[in-house]
Amino acid sequence: MTDLPEPGAAASGASVAELELRAVLDAAVDAVVIIDACGHIETFSRAAERLFGYSAAEVIGRNVTVLMPEPFRSQHDGYLRHHIDTGERRIIGKGREVVAQRRDGSLFPVFLSVGRIASLDPPRFVGLISDITDRKRAVEALRRERDRAQAYLDLAEVMLLAIDANGTISLVNRKGCEILGWPEDELVGRNWFASCLPPELRADVEGMFRHFFEGTAAPAQYAEHDVLTRGGERKLIAWRNAVLRDERGLVIGTLSSGEDITEQRRAIEALRKSEQLLRDAQSIAKLGNFELRLPDGTAYWSMQMHAILGTDPSGGAPPMAEYAERCIHPGDRDRIVEAWTRLTADEEPLDVEYRILRPDASVRHVHSIARMARDGEGRLQVVGTLHDITDRKHAQEEIRQTQERLTQFARLSTMGEMAAGLAHEINQPLTAITNYAQALQRLLAAPAVAEPGDVELALSQIAAQALRAGEIIRRLRSFVKNREAQTEVVDAARLIGDLMAFAEPDARLNDIRIRVESEPDLPRVACDPVQIQQVLLNLIRNAIDATNEAGPANREITLRTRRVEGGALEVSVEDRGAGISAEVAQNLGNPFFTTKSAGTGLGIAISRSILRAHGGRLAHRPTPGGGATVFFTLPAMPGSDK
Amino acid sequence: MKEKPATVFVVDDDEAVRTSLRLLLKSVGLPVETFASAQEFLDQFDPNRAGCLVLDIRMPGMSGLELQQQLNDRHSIMPIVFITGHGDVPMAVEAMQAGAVDFIQKPFRDQDLIDRINRALEKDREMRAALRERDEIRRRMSQLTPREREVLELVTQGKANKVIAGDLNVSQRTVEIHRARVMEKMGANSLAHLVRMVIEANREG
Repeated sequence: MTDLPEPGAAASGASVAELELRAVLDAAVDAVVIIDACGHIETFSRAAERLFGYSAAEVIGRNVTVLMPEPFRSQHDGYLRHHIDTGERRIIGKGREVVAQRRDGSLFPVFLSVGRIASLDPPRFVGLISDITDRKRAVEALRRERDRAQAYLDLAEVMLLAIDANGTISLVNRKGCEILGWPEDELVGRNWFASCLPPELRADVEGMFRHFFEGTAAPAQYAEHDVLTRGGERKLIAWRNAVLRDERGLVIGTLSSGEDITEQRRAIEALRKSEQLLRDAQSIAKLGNFELRLPDGTAYWSMQMHAILGTDPSGGAPPMAEYAERCIHPGDRDRIVEAWTRLTADEEPLDVEYRILRPDASVRHVHSIARMARDGEGRLQVVGTLHDITDRKHAQEEIRQTQERLTQFARLSTMGEMAAGLAHEINQPLTAITNYAQALQRLLAAPAVAEPGDVELALSQIAAQALRAGEIIRRLRSFVKNREAQTEVVDAARLIGDLMAFAEPDARLNDIRIRVESEPDLPRVACDPVQIQQVLLNLIRNAIDATNEAGPANREITLRTRRVEGGALEVSVEDRGAGISAEVAQNLGNPFFTTKSAGTGLGIAISRSILRAHGGRLAHRPTPGGGATVFFTLPAMPGSDK
Repeated sequence: MKEKPATVFVVDDDEAVRTSLRLLLKSVGLPVETFASAQEFLDQFDPNRAGCLVLDIRMPGMSGLELQQQLNDRHSIMPIVFITGHGDVPMAVEAMQAGAVDFIQKPFRDQDLIDRINRALEKDREMRAALRERDEIRRRMSQLTPREREVLELVTQGKANKVIAGDLNVSQRTVEIHRARVMEKMGANSLAHLVRMVIEANREG
């Protein structure tokens, strides 16, 4: 086989077949290169000349490898040899994309199809080469376009999911894969309903989709339901759905965006629960809280605020001025408004107790604490609580009243123990009065017996003794009558003088002498004189009992008042009885503990609480030479120290 | 020495009660002396003075009961009327057991007190009369000879003259003479009278 004639030299001796071939070759859009079994170029078409930048003359006879870059260039001879030796076809009859090299060294993509001219031996090969640079570029542009779209989809922080009419997943973005826990390539092509829905939802959701596809129902724009991840976990997804239609308007699938709201829902649920908890806690504690923004005064009240105040929650929170007018008891209003002003003007924390007036006219006691704070955005606001302490107040009041009744009871009880002495004491003037009156009657009947002055003496003594009896009764009444505790400035000496009116008859009745020893210049004390007398009477009563029980030779009780360290007043009652045993000392002051057969066991307990209320204390020590000394101190009034 | 009239001695620590009692008793014509304490009364106590004691049962220092005890120790016969208060009944019982004639609770009706005082004075009178009689009997007995005392003894035992004569180994006639002298010396007008006088003389106190 000879070389193909040179282009342009066609006329010289060429056969018709050759001329026809030449024309075909030259007309072909694709480049045509024919090589021999050794790879040498035999024919190089015009299109090939244009494509590679070589003239036919330049390349004919050269190895075809000049048209290709490394590594193909080095490998081509080997391929060719291998094919010829084994007849194995790798490229022949198939065609593929390869890279070609122009004369100027530039590379470009081509589609190469190779044919073997088998009738010749050794064979030749025809290569048809088309430049696919443009096509490549178009494909590349398309691919890039698709990648960009995918990137957009992947950028979306929601799951994007397309399902075709069979329920097969045709598209899912990165977020979708992340949520569902599948790699994209495993997910696309799966049946959505079977793979990604919890069993109990499958039928329902699939049925719904079926309706979309058949056009019998439009998808809900928004829906929430669980999906099942690859790992079997459930996630709550909020879906927005749209149907996909083809150009004829037929539904070919759905496109959905899904947001994983599992955490959000959990957070909302937790928030809801914690709000409920707070509401319950406030309700149980009767504690409301409020916030008030300054300076505009817009307020927030918790539900419990309304519950405490009896206001309608739908009315919101009123401004402070209206609150003060409407809800605060008039007797407390000014004080609270003042405290509120100090809070808002001087940032002085508020801590107040006051009464509120509810719309039903009932009065309740509240304790309110508030302070200035800044909210998240740095704006000044008041935050505070309102605590309904009515029950506590009532309980306190009840305790106070009970304590008072108990004190009163103990006082009566002490007085009861001293009644014999007092009865005797009242009997004396009554006896004297009776005697005088009867003597007067007899003197009037027998005037001769009377000496001058007898009648006058009798009359004046009747008056004096009646007053004496009246005085004893007056003291007794003032001692035992129901009364509220009251504090006054008391002179210790006078207090003891008054007390002796009760104590002395009792002591005398028991054949006991009370010796009073008072230091001069005793401090003045602020106290409730009746309560302190009650304490002292109780101590003297105990001392009398101790004396009777032990029966000492010296039947004497010493009532001593003196100034002790710190200027306080100490009053002690010393007896010469058997003293206080360790066992008794341990129980001394425990309510209802008594060593007396008819005792209440309240005397010392109540004396103690009376002294505690006075800021004093009750204690005991042995009397030198035997017996017990029970004493108490009362703080001196400021300024009574000389 | 002329004997003082029977006097009411009042002991009470309460001045008002004391003074009112003095006036009351004076108004019914009773002589009264008052004392503010048991000790004060004891200090001037004269067992020979007639009268009665009106005594407050409760007093500081020496109580009424203690004074009663002291007087008993001194063999005083002075009747005591105790004045008591409410609730003093146990003490009053004790006082009665120790020989008090009566007690009265304060305050009292004057007549009740005066009645009790009069009874006490009457008793004092009787006691003093009885004492005087016993002293006379003892004085008369002391004038008997030893033999006469023997005869008195045996006569009051109820023995007949013949039996006494045998006991004393004397004649019945001698016994009759002694017996007549005893009756005469003792001022007895019958055997029964003589026996009563012997019993009286042998009484304690």
